[in-house]
Amino acid sequence: MGGKEQLFQERFKRYSVAMECGKPDKVPVVFPLGEWVIKYSDITLQEAYYDVDKATAVIDGVLKDLDFDVMFGSINLWWPPMFDAVGCRQYKFPGIYFEADAGFQYVEEEFMKAEDYDDFIANPTQWLVENYLPRVNEEFSEPGSYRATVALIKGAAGFAMHNGKTAQVAQKWSQEFGIVPYGTGMTKAPFDTLGDSLRGTRGILLDLRRRPDKVAAACEAIVPHNIAFGMITSAGDTSLPCFAPLHKGAYPFLSLEQWDKFYWPTWKKVIEGLWALGKRVFFFAEGDWTPYLERIAQLPDKSIVFCIDLTDAQKAKKVLGGRFCLYGGVPTTLLTYGTPQEVKDCVKRAIDELAGDGGFVLAAGGVVMGDAKRENIEAMLEAARQYGAY
Amino acid sequence: MAENKVQAFVPEAGTCVPWKVKKEELGQLAGNEEIVKQEWDKLDAFAYAFIWFWVQR
Repeated sequence: MGGKEQLFQERFKRYSVAMECGKPDKVPVVFPLGEWVIKYSDITLQEAYYDVDKATAVIDGVLKDLDFDVMFGSINLWWPPMFDAVGCRQYKFPGIYFEADAGFQYVEEEFMKAEDYDDFIANPTQWLVENYLPRVNEEFSEPGSYRATVALIKGAAGFAMHNGKTAQVAQKWSQEFGIVPYGTGMTKAPFDTLGDSLRGTRGILLDLRRRPDKVAAACEAIVPHNIAFGMITSAGDTSLPCFAPLHKGAYPFLSLEQWDKFYWPTWKKVIEGLWALGKRVFFFAEGDWTPYLERIAQLPDKSIVFCIDLTDAQKAKKVLGGRFCLYGGVPTTLLTYGTPQEVKDCVKRAIDELAGDGGFVLAAGGVVMGDAKRENIEAMLEAARQYGAY
Repeated sequence: MAENKVQAFVPEAGTCVPWKVKKEELGQLAGNEEIVKQEWDKLDAFAYAFIWFWVQR
């Protein structure tokens, strides 16, 4: 073994040791892949979204001279051709709906109605097939028709094609650059599954007042599905954590009482269920989770990687440190509005405060925005290597 | 087979049409059941991931 394979193994070990709350040779550092990369290329966002090969070629050019351990993020998280084939109402992409250099948009609606709760709870998967998919995707609106059948074939084929391409690209980056992916698979908190996609924000906030028992029962019904979805999308891998973007659990979207009653119990069950299968959760705590740190500390040791976005980092270190790997340290806003020197100062401060006894991964605190500056990203990686040796 | 089709069942998490339902419809298999089951389960899991993908954004 040598070259890039050896480099991959060194970085994988560095990341793995940190996730186990140990002290590796260096603080692992994460490259935040995102739409900002396209700003420094000669292709449009539309080309990057639609053509995975073009986007990959651009990213290759950015990666080749950088030293980091782990990559987080994606440009092609959503592959528009699949959504076009089924006539998706949820996502709008540049090309059909926007100019070529615009970002994608999510259009939230109540695709599940209040009167659907009982049927959904009784048989979630069948309800999704018979009700949700035809409502979300225009081409499925007449099930069994020529258009619906063709669209279903194309949608499923597109799903397989894009998953296969994504896996190929990850393997290529591992082999050519020694890069470790931050995780495998995806899951969510049941309340977010219900509130983001099914009922929508307005719907679920009304439900908390008008039909709280239905919300609780629906979240319970989703628990085994979010465990199964996490494992299936991980293809059985348990060496890397399962991505969990957390939205409506951030303070103060819910009151403390609502969080305790509706958000945490079923999210905790999903995490514990995955951990029982050997799968750690990438607890992507977007926003501020400071008031909930003591509750989160109830989880089994090492069962999550806790991502610090707006959460009080020092309190997170005090409450979770030593039992759970902490991830973050650099605010995403600083990568857009700061200077390289400010970013380097921030990295030094984060390492001084959070990395001392291991169990820490230096990264941007959330999803890095499209207007982030390349020089700031490079400053973050350089400073992590400069200050991150144990 | 159509007359044997199981109409009402609640698939457990991770499945759409579990093998046990399909097996009930097929009855005794002439060849190696395990080979058929393994590949059935893989495609069923793929379909499950496609269905739930739409609510896991």
